[in-house]
Amino acid sequence: MRATFPRMGTSWVAFKTLIENLGVEVVLPEPANRELVKFGVKHSPEFVCFPFKPTLGELKSALDKGADTIIMAIDCGPCRFGFYASVQERILRDAGYDKFRLIPLDQADLLNFQWVQTLFKISGKSSFSLYPKFVKSVLYFLKKAKYLEDIQTAEGIFRAYERNQGDTTKIVNSLLHKLDETNTNKGLREFRSVIKNDFEHLDIDKTRKPLKVGLAGEIYISLEPYVNLDIRRKLGEMGVEIYQCLSLWDWIAHKFHLNYHRKWLEHLAKPYMPMDIGGECVWVIGQYIDNAKAGFDGFVHSYPFTCMPEVTARTIITNKLKGIYDLPIIYFSFDEQSGIEGFRTRLEAFVDLMRGRRTKKKNETIKSSIHSNNNYGSHFYQECLKLVQQS
Amino acid sequence: MNKLKVGIPRALHFYRYFPFWKKILEEMDVEIVLSPLTNKKIVEKGVQQGFGELCIPMKIYYGHVLNLITNHQDLDFIFVPRYIAEVKDAYFCPKFLSLPDVIKILPNIPKILNFEVNVKEFPISYSAVELGKQLGLSRSRSLEAYNRAKNYYNQYLSFLKEGAPVNYALRLVNRNIPFKLPKQKTQNDIRLLLLGHGYNLFDTFINLDFQKKLSDRQVDVLTIENMPESVFKTPVIVNNKLRNYWRHEEEIMQAIRYFLTEGRNEIDGVIFLISFACGPDSLISELIMRDMKVVGLPYLAIIMDEHSGEAGMLTRIESFVDMIKRKKKKIELKFQQEKSKIKV
Repeated sequence: MRATFPRMGTSWVAFKTLIENLGVEVVLPEPANRELVKFGVKHSPEFVCFPFKPTLGELKSALDKGADTIIMAIDCGPCRFGFYASVQERILRDAGYDKFRLIPLDQADLLNFQWVQTLFKISGKSSFSLYPKFVKSVLYFLKKAKYLEDIQTAEGIFRAYERNQGDTTKIVNSLLHKLDETNTNKGLREFRSVIKNDFEHLDIDKTRKPLKVGLAGEIYISLEPYVNLDIRRKLGEMGVEIYQCLSLWDWIAHKFHLNYHRKWLEHLAKPYMPMDIGGECVWVIGQYIDNAKAGFDGFVHSYPFTCMPEVTARTIITNKLKGIYDLPIIYFSFDEQSGIEGFRTRLEAFVDLMRGRRTKKKNETIKSSIHSNNNYGSHFYQECLKLVQQS
Repeated sequence: MNKLKVGIPRALHFYRYFPFWKKILEEMDVEIVLSPLTNKKIVEKGVQQGFGELCIPMKIYYGHVLNLITNHQDLDFIFVPRYIAEVKDAYFCPKFLSLPDVIKILPNIPKILNFEVNVKEFPISYSAVELGKQLGLSRSRSLEAYNRAKNYYNQYLSFLKEGAPVNYALRLVNRNIPFKLPKQKTQNDIRLLLLGHGYNLFDTFINLDFQKKLSDRQVDVLTIENMPESVFKTPVIVNNKLRNYWRHEEEIMQAIRYFLTEGRNEIDGVIFLISFACGPDSLISELIMRDMKVVGLPYLAIIMDEHSGEAGMLTRIESFVDMIKRKKKKIELKFQQEKSKIKV
């Protein structure tokens, strides 16, 4: 059996461990590119939300490479994501790929432990002798997911300070490679120091005072660099420090009901959006408020064109929150038509606007800035900030 | 004492639940103010308020709300229900889930009368009690109102099942006339199934009076509301795996499943009206289209938004109807030829 799954940015490292450790061969799809998106656009419904199309293309490329099992997450609504697996299966079969099997991985509530059954099904055996192997694969998966988030956090901070443009990207790529190779308990335990060590040796200019921007939006769009036109790198190279708490780890922890950061965001968003309506609507609203209170310079909201929950979030932010919290925000809705030059122009204009605001504010008194607030963000986020100041 | 005035926008769930709302609110001793039929001004206002990516029914909802506010300044409440789940394992579209949150942040909005239906968490009678609380009514009184409204709504539903067109029935409800079927017209030989959400099918402005255009061409139209209840009993499972989780779409899929199997010969074709940027429909229509190809039923999907041109739509309907007529003729001809062969 040769299994495959959509990449979703860098998350493939974690998924790969999960499945390989169960004793199943993994065929990685090609990273999303123009050809794959073209295939997706040709065969998908016309105005389905955008992540459907690149993932369809990715699955097709993996099937071309010889995969025979697709593992795809499903959900229980109310947003469109739950339908992806079924409709994609139908489309792929109609397009002539009929020798594959699709195993849905139900992620509606991970605490009901349905996924255990699914993992047994993937491994093909269900004896208890598999148990240690099984625990190992899940533990490695969780650890790698966490490290992926750490790499993403450090990347967001360090790119704004790098002297030679492109150094951070190189480090990130080598770290991803290293994380993919690391498959021992010891190696994984010490991986955080590897991350720190690598970033410590980066040539940085710590006198800079970069702008701080919060990044939020739909999870696939935020994580997949081809789809979001590599927004994190572009912002970083314009000298903007990025705070993004959205990642695979963040999502998994939330689905295990252990993500207290998200619970805090829900609490903040409650007056404006009392319930989870799918997508990242509640948390986008929450993070907007949170970042505004922490004195960020701006906020970027990226989502697929016509995404139902995110459009609601956008409506609420433009109509209400912008007036209250006064944090500049820019929206990017991505689909297959997004052009890179228009995107860059808008981004540059936004960065200029934030710069102008900051210089204007300097003359007044800065009420609260992150530099004075030492408790903002996760533990690793703080550590990275310290690293920058120490070096 | 003056009665409380409650405004109801004539959009979205209005076309589905209005008889229920009207009855329950009237039983709660409230005066109801309805916004007018959708017109150009309302659409324009709504489009100005909502930004581009919203679907057109949402924009029209904005328009109706704004219209109510400007025309009736003395409204005490505006009725914005939050329908989350009407049956245990199906949601509504996320935009319905967040409707009051989106409306309450508009400028100059009166108090919102919320009616939250979430069967997953609590029964509808509880929602009715909560509704009564906002109007200052006692528990027993609101329960009584709820029961009456429920009976009335069931009557309304069975009236629809007898074959009454929805717009006709809504008119009767609005004027407090007892339910009576309209005079039977002669049956035409072409019968089409009209799919789509109530707010697309029965809002005659936004769909450019689609049903009239069909009846002008001697076509009988069937909507989901007119279908017998037995069709809607078993849930739809997509590809043997996924249980459909949208309420409206569930009904659409169930209807389609009926016509794909037992009811194959009852209709001649299917038209699906979709509003642009409608999330659930974009996936459902794809599944339906692929099913139709297998069975060989003519299928037409019409996507509409605030820019829909009348001529384009007319052309598409005409050609679709002509195609079906020709197909029928062909089949008949074949049939007669075979018959004559047997005679010889």
